[in-house]
Amino acid sequence: MASLIFEALSFAYPQAQRRALNEVSLTIGNGEFAVLCGRSGCGKSTLLRHCKTVLTPHGRRKGRVLFGGVPLDKVSFRDQSEKIGFVLQNPDNQIVTDKVWHELAFGLESLGMDQKTIRLRVAEMASFFGIQKWFMKNVSELSGGQKQLLNLASIMAMQPELLILDEPTSQLDPIAASEFLETVKKINRELGTTVLLTEHRLEEAFPMADRVIVMEEGAVIADGEPSTVGDMLKEASHDLFCAMPAAMQIYAQVDGPAPCPLTVRDGRRFLSSLWPENPPAFRRIAVPEAEGNGSAAVEIKEAWFRYEKDGADVVKGLNLAIPEGCFYAIVGGNGTGKTTTIHLMSGILRPYRGKIRLFGKEIQKYRDNELFTNLLGVLPQNPQALFVKKTVRLDLLEMLSREKGSKEEKEKRILEAARQVDMEGLLERHPYDLSGGEQQRAALAKVLLLKPRILLMDEPTKGLDNAFKDKLAGILNRLKAGGTTIVMVSHDIEFCARYAGRCAMFFDGSVVTEDTPNRFFSGNSFYTTSANRMSRHLFENAVTVEDVITLCRQNQNQAANA
Amino acid sequence: MRDAFSRCHPVVNFTYFTAVLLFSMFFMHPVFLGISLAASMVYAIWLNGGRAIRFQFLYMLPMLLLVALINPAFNHEGMTILVYVNDNPITLESIVYGVASAVMFVSVVIWFSCYNAVMTSDKFIYLFGRVIPALSLILSMVLRFVPKFKAQARVISNAQKCIGRDVSNGNLWTRARNGVKILSILVTWALENAIETADSMRSRGYGLKGRTSFSHYRFGQRDKLLLTTLGLLIFCVLAGALLQENSIQYFPYIKINAATARSVLVYTAYFLLCMLPVGLNIWEEWTWRRLYSKL
Amino acid sequence: MQAKSKSGGKRLNKRTLVASALILLVIPATIVFGIFVLNDRKYYLISLLIIVYTMLPFFMVFEKRKPQAREIVVISVLAALAVAGRVAFFMLPQFKPVVALVIIAGVCFGGEAGFLVGAVSGFVSNFFFGQGPWTPWQMFCFGIIGFLAGVLVQKGWLSRNRVPLSIFGALATLLIYGGIINLGSLFMTTPHFTWQGLLAFYVSAFPMDLVHVASTFAVLLLLSKPMMEKLERIKIKYGLIEPEPEQAL
Repeated sequence: MASLIFEALSFAYPQAQRRALNEVSLTIGNGEFAVLCGRSGCGKSTLLRHCKTVLTPHGRRKGRVLFGGVPLDKVSFRDQSEKIGFVLQNPDNQIVTDKVWHELAFGLESLGMDQKTIRLRVAEMASFFGIQKWFMKNVSELSGGQKQLLNLASIMAMQPELLILDEPTSQLDPIAASEFLETVKKINRELGTTVLLTEHRLEEAFPMADRVIVMEEGAVIADGEPSTVGDMLKEASHDLFCAMPAAMQIYAQVDGPAPCPLTVRDGRRFLSSLWPENPPAFRRIAVPEAEGNGSAAVEIKEAWFRYEKDGADVVKGLNLAIPEGCFYAIVGGNGTGKTTTIHLMSGILRPYRGKIRLFGKEIQKYRDNELFTNLLGVLPQNPQALFVKKTVRLDLLEMLSREKGSKEEKEKRILEAARQVDMEGLLERHPYDLSGGEQQRAALAKVLLLKPRILLMDEPTKGLDNAFKDKLAGILNRLKAGGTTIVMVSHDIEFCARYAGRCAMFFDGSVVTEDTPNRFFSGNSFYTTSANRMSRHLFENAVTVEDVITLCRQNQNQAANA
Repeated sequence: MRDAFSRCHPVVNFTYFTAVLLFSMFFMHPVFLGISLAASMVYAIWLNGGRAIRFQFLYMLPMLLLVALINPAFNHEGMTILVYVNDNPITLESIVYGVASAVMFVSVVIWFSCYNAVMTSDKFIYLFGRVIPALSLILSMVLRFVPKFKAQARVISNAQKCIGRDVSNGNLWTRARNGVKILSILVTWALENAIETADSMRSRGYGLKGRTSFSHYRFGQRDKLLLTTLGLLIFCVLAGALLQENSIQYFPYIKINAATARSVLVYTAYFLLCMLPVGLNIWEEWTWRRLYSKL
Repeated sequence: MQAKSKSGGKRLNKRTLVASALILLVIPATIVFGIFVLNDRKYYLISLLIIVYTMLPFFMVFEKRKPQAREIVVISVLAALAVAGRVAFFMLPQFKPVVALVIIAGVCFGGEAGFLVGAVSGFVSNFFFGQGPWTPWQMFCFGIIGFLAGVLVQKGWLSRNRVPLSIFGALATLLIYGGIINLGSLFMTTPHFTWQGLLAFYVSAFPMDLVHVASTFAVLLLLSKPMMEKLERIKIKYGLIEPEPEQAL
């Protein structure tokens, strides 16, 4: 039986010319695990919000949605609340009350259940999700991953038939994200709950899915089992492939046997099947020379730091030299002191021992206005921490409010900054009406107005889809070409492997190893890209998907010529 | 220190504090004042340890002296004139009265410090969740938002610092402007993000008829016993108050009832009432020791 | 929510009814009871009870009309901002933006919301600084200032421009907040009322009151316009003005 049916659903937001949804017809079966993907703005969130009346956006609509065979507007608010669970993107915003146990009970209270039933349901959920240890805590003490798990648990407590998740892991670090997705899988497999998920961590979501639905410009362009969808997209040689798992990307670009591989394991087999007998002739890819051999822009010598006098050290004897003009990426797990190091470099925090120099001069010796004009730019992890005005233009202008200069001159600088980040068309928008990636770029434009020579960024790719990441990379490359030194802290291995000039791995408060991304990642065996894990038995130093594809083609061409 | 009374049912906690606070606010009889002050200090020290001792000496003692001085300075009633200051008589009665009201005020403040340690927000929300469901939800949400907003205010002020707007420099006006900028960024952030909170509430059925209120508190045998004891003691004290056992006249001259067997009974009831949590703790401590000594 | 208080003329009447019943019957009864029964503590008890009576109708009406999720969220956010807002002024000790934010809430969302934001922020801030006999007084002062701001603007007696609002804020802080809180402190500390004593309380609290007045004035002057724009945007963007569609049950 079908759980959810969209019948030729079209939708347009008020005052929008283009339809956000165009004739979407879909049937999601009971107990199915469906992943909905597509780039930002393709209409997937809009489609999900149509699955629940209270979340449905205002606008013009055609077609209808059926839940359990009944048109959604005929399903009572009570039934919808109980049977359709919805997890949103931001873990923090969804939490309503101040205590974990109260949050778990919130939905059940709304449904008017009695004390005994709620007690049982809450106990069940706490046990299923492993929440007992933090059951009595204040929600403000939880980590992001725990918060999102709590949101999921408090919805599962109502025992919904259909669980809808709108990019639930985009704000989580990779480990918390896999844990979360594993839990969703467990819910689907063990409880039989129907799952409809949008996600950009497709690497992990695809192998779980029974079904993948691809959307583009408000319409469904592919729909089927994950590997079938891979074949469909390969045939259409669709550029959406850049968002697919590494194995699928390689499959799409390299001639080889079907079926389309999804996981690293499948991809490894796929590559092995290309050279069944002899190993390939070309095993190394040519790598560009290490960049940034100039003098150090940032130099940290034996820095030690802790937050409280009696607390544990967070940064321990850190030595780091970041050459001028380099795009430097710091990777590593949670709580290893990466973000603290960024704060040390920006002067927000000070080491209690050791020295930090910017261009050879100690950071404390700079005056504040010297430090942050034409020298140091810091992009906060959450770009929303910078927006104060009602349009992007006014917000940029606000940055120049303390500077002298004519209006035209300021206007010119604003346009230039907007051009640097590809935002000329969005200057009149309210910052909060922008998508995550656009907000990020607007914040970057604000920082760039100060013409920094060193740009510090804390997880700039968090929550961005691949198209936005590529765009960000383009902007950063342009800045680098202009001589800016870029320092980035990130969990995003794939991004660092592809774009960084050097990578450093943080562990336990200092750098364990540091090298060019190619040498760095081909030297690691766990903490590396999926393309590398897939190909390391055949190639010595293929780190990115492009590396693997290039090497495969070289070898195949050579074989063909021979 | 672990407090046994805090682990009792919120109804017991709340009844106790309501009674003790009201009695402390209205009984001006020296014996009652003394019992209340002593009990509040002992319980505060039990609850908060060294912090309570510091609080009592650093803040409450000067407060006591100050309040004790206010009264004779403005109140010139009373028969026993001790001295004239600027043609105003300072009387013995008004000094005694000043000390009494100071003791009363200080003991109320110390009782409140105990209340704050015992009556946590979730107990309050539990007690009033049924009577004022919407307001107690608001309360719970505000308590959730405040730490979140405070943390975000810090993030914002760091971000401001990183674009060269060090907020802690400059004259008063500049600082106020910087503060308002931080607040302004915070306001936008809070409001825009809260819409998702509203979505999450409605998505989980908020607004349906017949909302219930869940709590993990259980009313056990011990709570029943404690509540009965509380009721009996409160009854004794109130009966004593009706029989004028707690009354005292300060002006124009101090007149106080002589202690009788009946009044001693009322004093004892009041003492037991005030010391109930401490007594419970001692009882629990003793039970543990006995259990362990058997092992 | 403004629209709601307009459409809910009946509700307003009900509140007036409850309020007038309290003012005409219960308050005099309390005063009589206090004077005849409690000779020593009459001032404190009577004042406390009057404060509680004034706040009750607001709470009752609010509960009675089963507020929607969006309204609850907005009130909570504004109250939490009023409490947490102090952190934004960490570099200026004693700088309190509470009154200013409560006034803005009242102006944008009407008197009832203003009252609730004020009373709730007064209550919750004491969860962080410690509850005491002063809690009801603070709740009352903040609440009534928010209520007044809302009602005066709705009646057209107070302009929404920043200068008049700032002046209103300064006066309200000095006269309503300072006036009532100092009276409360007098009742709390000494049961014996004298005019000289009251004067002494006002004089000794004056410097702190002045800092409070200045901070309210400054915040309103700088923040009222942008913050009202932000609140208007929220109202429009998320349909706070139109009533939420009724859900069939």
